[in-house]
Amino acid sequence: MTWIHPLSAETEETPGVLGGKGHGLVVLRRLGLPVPPGFVIGTGACRAFLRDGRFPDGLDAELTAAVSALEAATGRRFGGRERPLALAVRSGGSVSMPGMMNTILNLGLTAEAAAGLAAETGDARFALDSRLRFLSGFASAVAGEPVPDDAMRQLELAVGAVFSSWDTPRATTYRELHGIPHELGTAVTVQAMVFGNRDDRSGAGVAFSRDPNTGERVPFGDVLFGRQGEDVVSGGSATRPLAELAGREPAVWAGLLEAMDRIEGHCRDACQVEFTFEAGALWLLQVRPGGLVGRAAVRVAVDLADEDLISRREALLRVSPRHLRHASTPRIEITGTLDVLTRGLGACPGVAAGRVATTAERAARMAADGPVILVRPQTSPLDMHGLAAAAGVVTALGGPASHAAVVARAMGKPAVVGAAGLVVDVAAATVRAGGRTVPEGTFLTIDGTGGEIVVGSPRVVTAPADVHLHRLLEWADEVTGGGDGAGHDDAERLAAARAVLLNA
Amino acid sequence: MVRSPHSTSDDLLVLHTLRSIGYADLARVSAAAGLTESDTESALIDLAVAGLVRRDPGGFGAWGLTGAGRAADAERIRDELDTAAARPAVTRAYEEFLVLNPEMLDLCTAWQLRAGDGVMTPNDHTDPAYDSRVLERLADFHRRADAVCADLSAALLRFRRYRVRLADALARARAGETEYVTDDLDSYHIVWFQLHEDLLATLGIPRH
Repeated sequence: MTWIHPLSAETEETPGVLGGKGHGLVVLRRLGLPVPPGFVIGTGACRAFLRDGRFPDGLDAELTAAVSALEAATGRRFGGRERPLALAVRSGGSVSMPGMMNTILNLGLTAEAAAGLAAETGDARFALDSRLRFLSGFASAVAGEPVPDDAMRQLELAVGAVFSSWDTPRATTYRELHGIPHELGTAVTVQAMVFGNRDDRSGAGVAFSRDPNTGERVPFGDVLFGRQGEDVVSGGSATRPLAELAGREPAVWAGLLEAMDRIEGHCRDACQVEFTFEAGALWLLQVRPGGLVGRAAVRVAVDLADEDLISRREALLRVSPRHLRHASTPRIEITGTLDVLTRGLGACPGVAAGRVATTAERAARMAADGPVILVRPQTSPLDMHGLAAAAGVVTALGGPASHAAVVARAMGKPAVVGAAGLVVDVAAATVRAGGRTVPEGTFLTIDGTGGEIVVGSPRVVTAPADVHLHRLLEWADEVTGGGDGAGHDDAERLAAARAVLLNA
Repeated sequence: MVRSPHSTSDDLLVLHTLRSIGYADLARVSAAAGLTESDTESALIDLAVAGLVRRDPGGFGAWGLTGAGRAADAERIRDELDTAAARPAVTRAYEEFLVLNPEMLDLCTAWQLRAGDGVMTPNDHTDPAYDSRVLERLADFHRRADAVCADLSAALLRFRRYRVRLADALARARAGETEYVTDDLDSYHIVWFQLHEDLLATLGIPRH
């Protein structure tokens, strides 16, 4: 095949062809880990499509053959009435462009196939939920086309839509801003669908092999039971801490820990995976190495050296001086006794503490008597005077690129956005999360780096005595022969050692 | 037949400006509405007498809507939309706005934060090449945003003001007044944020 490559251990193409996501899945296959069967349409096909406005010669035939092979591997029929095969169609270039391009899931669930899925599983609700997810996902990705009731035609349109999404103005702007060449194109990963919404022994989640807040070697992440993966990232549903898997699905939990161990051994780095489990069986859908920042990055580098996965030299090269500058941002001290109300995404670094206000008007009024934390579902221009009066802001919805986040950063106010499961009840003047109700006026502390929302006044640390950082800097001084580094700040000591290592 | 765009009366324009921009002093209300300060003040006083707006008792002189003002605005701005037969055009423009909005927020985020070695750090604006790259993309974005605002203005004249204010913010930012990207109360992002609110209020769409 010219354009299409199977997701198998033998596939040797580079991330430049398979995209980072497709390549990562091939690596997982090599490690013997559970990956739904599928194939990757390489970036070359995307480049040809964008150049000529149509699929390159031979792609249609290869697509038909690849789907047949997938039918044979799964014992299912694409769009079939019995044992229907549904597909997940995902974008992914060689450089990550999160959220910029299209994904179409549950593809191939025609009316007939959905009826077949209902008959096979005896669960009409599950089949309907999956078909509705397909219809809304397809409609938003493939604008202006009615949804064909032919599975193969759906696949062609979906692949074309993913290719085209490379060239949306938003994606073009993103590449300009991040210095990513426009000519790379995206690959398309096509896999047999695994259903996190299948039953109550199904679900989806995101897992880190080490805690991204501290770098400690404990698995960390979020899981949603009975839902598909996009619900985890969309922030629309209340996720549960990853560790709840251990009690509810011990085999999935054990499989996940084993998988992350094996990935760490291979990548010699911390890792992050997206996973789905269907009827108690674990599947990995994406892997990313590293990705930890600040103090967590320091701790991971030092621990990996202690675990003999990397050398001390490598540890020094893994931590950039930027991480140390990041590490000096004030943070809530993470202890076992923190009374965490909920967590969101840090959108503007810094710690703020004050009494909860649920409207801009009350925030402006209450601010006369001391600091206020404005908590809103999301923000509108009508909240601006409340934001100006508040010490910090929390929103239930939105991400790090939302109006609230942009305004908070413009004003330099610590901010947490997309707080999981947070309900702001303006009429009752309360905030609810995790089964708790917090009345207006309650003292909260928020951390705009880690996203913690804590009841009360936890300790705030600026440059904590950090045994890992201390050791890393000792290694740095050994490299430079710089004694105890007196007179230099941490970032300078590290930068000097890296300069020596990089020029050696 | 080309229909001339519907023109909004001063008092509704001032009422709806407050609905879209939130608490603001006289100068900001008049600048956003595109009226003289004396016409704006006269409209504000009439609206205050009718119980639709009030002046912040806190002493900062800011004007804001009352609950009755918010309800009156919703009704009157809906009537205007229907009288001007502008609902289809505004709905279409709002859909185009929603495509542009994530890109606007990406641009603002890139202006405020820089990714390097996997760490997002505040953009300290010491790299002119990077800043001018963001501003070039903002200028490109503005051409597409302005086309949407032009469509809106062709239906309801009051939207013309956003074309002026967005173009002004962009020109100032490119002339070196960098606070006109995200920071100033008349920055590109804030005017865009107000346009977002205006479209939601005009079409009667709740924020969530």
